[in-house]
Amino acid sequence: MTETEMDTTTRNTNAEEILRVSGLSTRFFTQEGQVNAVSDLDLRIERGEVFGIVGESGSGKSVTARSLMDLIEPPGEITEGKIEYNDPDLADAVRDDYPQAVDGEYVDLLEVPADVRESLRGTSFSMIFQDPESSFNPTLTVGEQLAEAVEVQRRASARPRSTRAKTQDYTLASFALSTVLPSREYVSEESRERAIELLEMVGIPDPVERADEYPHEYSGGMLQRAMIAQALAGEPDVLVADEPTTALDVTIQAQILDLLAEIQEETGMTIVLITHNLGVIARMCDRVGVMYAGEIVERGTLEDVFDDHVHPYTEGLLGSIPDLEGARGRLQPIPGNVPSLLDSEMEDRCYFADRCPNAMEDCLDHPPEYDADGSADHEVRCVLAERDYEESRALPEGYFGETERPAADKHADPDRTEEDVQPERAEQPVDDSGGDRL
Amino acid sequence: MSLGKFLVRRILQGIFVIWGAITIMFGLRAVSPGDPANLMLAEGATQELVEQVRREEGLDQPIYVQYFDYLQGIVTGDFGYSWQSNREVEAMVIERIPATIELAVAATIVAIVIAIPLGVISATRRNQPSDYGATLFSLLGISTPNFWLGLMLILVLGVWTGVFPTGRRPVGLGEAAMTFAQTGSPGDLFTWLRYITLPALTLGTYFTALITRLTRSGMIDELGKPYVTASRAKGLPNVLVRYKHVLRNTMIPIITVLGLQMGTLMGGAVITETVFNWPGLGLRLIDALDARDWPLMQGIILFIAVAFVVINIVVDGLYSYLNPQVRE
Amino acid sequence: MISDRVKSNLKQTLSESLLPKIGLLLLVSIVLMAIFAPLLATHDPTRTGYYSEQGSEYPPIGHEYTTQVASEGEIAEITVEPTSEHVLGTNNVGQDVYSRFLYGARVSLLVGILGTTMALVIGVPFGLISGYYGGRVDDGLMRIADTMLAFPALVLALALIGVFGESPVMVPDPFVMAGLADGMPESIPIPGTVTIVVALVTWVWFARVARGEALSIRNEEYVKAARSFGTSNRTILLKHVLPNSLTPIIVLASIQVATIILIEASLAYLGFSGTTLSWGYEIERGQDVLRTRPWVAMIPGIGIVLAVISINLLGDWFRDALDPNIEGEAR
Repeated sequence: MTETEMDTTTRNTNAEEILRVSGLSTRFFTQEGQVNAVSDLDLRIERGEVFGIVGESGSGKSVTARSLMDLIEPPGEITEGKIEYNDPDLADAVRDDYPQAVDGEYVDLLEVPADVRESLRGTSFSMIFQDPESSFNPTLTVGEQLAEAVEVQRRASARPRSTRAKTQDYTLASFALSTVLPSREYVSEESRERAIELLEMVGIPDPVERADEYPHEYSGGMLQRAMIAQALAGEPDVLVADEPTTALDVTIQAQILDLLAEIQEETGMTIVLITHNLGVIARMCDRVGVMYAGEIVERGTLEDVFDDHVHPYTEGLLGSIPDLEGARGRLQPIPGNVPSLLDSEMEDRCYFADRCPNAMEDCLDHPPEYDADGSADHEVRCVLAERDYEESRALPEGYFGETERPAADKHADPDRTEEDVQPERAEQPVDDSGGDRL
Repeated sequence: MSLGKFLVRRILQGIFVIWGAITIMFGLRAVSPGDPANLMLAEGATQELVEQVRREEGLDQPIYVQYFDYLQGIVTGDFGYSWQSNREVEAMVIERIPATIELAVAATIVAIVIAIPLGVISATRRNQPSDYGATLFSLLGISTPNFWLGLMLILVLGVWTGVFPTGRRPVGLGEAAMTFAQTGSPGDLFTWLRYITLPALTLGTYFTALITRLTRSGMIDELGKPYVTASRAKGLPNVLVRYKHVLRNTMIPIITVLGLQMGTLMGGAVITETVFNWPGLGLRLIDALDARDWPLMQGIILFIAVAFVVINIVVDGLYSYLNPQVRE
Repeated sequence: MISDRVKSNLKQTLSESLLPKIGLLLLVSIVLMAIFAPLLATHDPTRTGYYSEQGSEYPPIGHEYTTQVASEGEIAEITVEPTSEHVLGTNNVGQDVYSRFLYGARVSLLVGILGTTMALVIGVPFGLISGYYGGRVDDGLMRIADTMLAFPALVLALALIGVFGESPVMVPDPFVMAGLADGMPESIPIPGTVTIVVALVTWVWFARVARGEALSIRNEEYVKAARSFGTSNRTILLKHVLPNSLTPIIVLASIQVATIILIEASLAYLGFSGTTLSWGYEIERGQDVLRTRPWVAMIPGIGIVLAVISINLLGDWFRDALDPNIEGEAR
């Protein structure tokens, strides 16, 4: 890498990294076998940036998000890796008890007990979900649910960091007491008032009245605003936004993204934005990682990925954005289907090779991450970063058998549900969702 | 639809159903073989006496006149006289209500206190020994006839170990409470408690098992919903997610099922009262049936039908109160 | 009618879990026991007077008890030993408990199956018509169903038996007629009124489920298409609506067999059955001697529990494999 290339990078490479994820693997042990939803994933997320993760459905984006939040539930499990979080206070608090977890100001969250990770949720990490309608409890008012999130933060900040993780302050006994004595309820009056402020902050009119309404009385867009407010209640350092606009009308999508951008600017919060929509990435993100089959196949700044991309999959994704001016001609879907993540069906090769127009013999070995042209951050998991495509080394057509698997294939077995294999919610595949509608 | 409007509609429906029940009871009596007058009188009564009774009871009138007389009687609160004892049916029904309600309420409390924690444990520790234990218990509970269960409880906890008394209870809750209020001695209350334990367990077991099953499966469904993950993501303590959110939402549909199952509870009460010689409505119903005492039988069955309809209206109201999506 | 998918789901659930296997095994044993009762029985179940020399009932094998007898004007305490003649002992009128246990299975299962079939025959057409035609027909029919539901099943059954009496139906025993089981009763009494009555008090549940199914099926495209071709309502009901609503009805039927067995046992216990060869009746008889001869009440109860558990396990299996939506169950 040359000096001039370093200069062309738009980012300050010395910026503090708030999250360092290395070698993260999340697997699901289903009846059909082991599903490698996320394999050997590395991420470096800098404080205050918006980092985008883009990929088709089933590429492991949502599982990555949930792994960061420690929300993986059986049969899923994080089997390997480190999730290091930069928080000097936390590092001091756990250094004595878990020295192996601490590295300077970083704490490996997978090395500390679950209750420590739990204590970070809401206050250090927060998340907004794809479908606001099902992500609120239908039988409690929106205000009550926001106030709960505020209360989490209030109670956490009332106690010093060192005792926070160890005390299970809210037990079944306190809950039982609260059902009889209103004064012992979890949520305090102050939190309810703060919830109304939060609703106002995210632009909900008449917040006092709306706080007493139930989720089904809200529109989808309003509810997504409320969810953003809920995520902000704990004043988190990192906000994980999992497809925050997918379930919304096109006109509302832009408003929600504007709101997120505005809040990010005001608070300096770090956002990990997960989407299948390249338009959203282009609009919001500083850096981006492209996911395929549980791995990041290409990462870098926006310019790297949009203009200097190397991986044919990235090329394919970009090719499938319908261009409003029609300059790029027809929408080009990527042939073939999302690969199976079943361990037994995954071969040791580039996972994209069976759909790749430029597949060569070299692709039969699993590629490492190569540095690529562009910024210092630009890395790609494709041999094309090292060598040019050679017709003579191309794999013969039909090498992988029938690449055009029927779309219904993964549903052929009635028991192999979407959830078993892809623990993220069903979503439109990239090639027909039209990323550039914004 | 507002809650008020909803309730008015349900009450109108309830009145229609009760009218239907009255009509069915009248119809059954009309097609019942055997001359009621003969049933009322000892064998060997003279023909004149039978005729006189028929006139007094209005049995010589055309059937529709009898029907309207009967309806009118019920509307004005006159259920007639027991053929057996010649006492007013209302009085005979009312004096037996407290014992049955004591039993039903005690059984319901037993069921709720045992079943909900059991269902929660089962759902949150799936496929662990405690889950298998709870599943086996609930399978046995819904498969055991309560009269046999009652006898086995009497045998084991009454006869063999002597923990609980087995005879007819000497004192009701009302009297026991009066004694306590007047003398300050809780002795009668303890006696009452000792006597009601086995019948309440007998009647409550089926419901305990049923609610355990419903709680377990409902909670497993509910735990898989996205809002649960979202609640965890915002840092809410597990206890709150589990009870304030998940369990609450699980119980709302279960309430409706329990309303429908109240009929089973009442049927079960008839059996349990027979097993334990419990002085409630059910025991009196069996006596009336044995003696073919129609007015008493009708009075008791109608009371049960009305109670069932009222309970279900209350349950529906409660359901729409608790579930904001229905309330609007 | 029953698709391959349904069959493969049933097979898969059966192979994956233990409980359906236990249920199936248990039910098959009970059915075999009921069918071959005359061959398996050691004594005529209705014959009385099997007592020990001192005139006491025999206890089951592995159990002995002491009782008092009057001999030569004095009260003497004696110990009664079991006999291999009567493996489960004898009851308080001196009948063989084991043989009665076998015959009790016949009555329970027959009433369960016949009652459920009759409830199906009444309830399913009622519900399908109500749901398919909708509107006023539906309103009217459902009010009738609501009225039936206002009576607890057992209470209504008692009232109906109060009116119609018990009228047992004597069914000749094929094994005895074929000369394969000499010395067994020539016919067994099936409680006639009880069978009809349990159907009358449980058909409403079938009506409700069938109605729910018909309501959703009538809006399916294929039904609309059939209607637009001028197919008659009757044909649509028989060819489209009925076959497509069978799954939840089958699941409900399996649960109802268990429910009806329990109702029959309860009625027999209360003395309203019309046959003495019923587990419920036997328990009632055992109640009188519960303290001294507990096996008389205990053994038939185990029969009821095993029969009902096996059917419930089967119902759970169907439910898990077919996954219908049934809101409640009656008892």
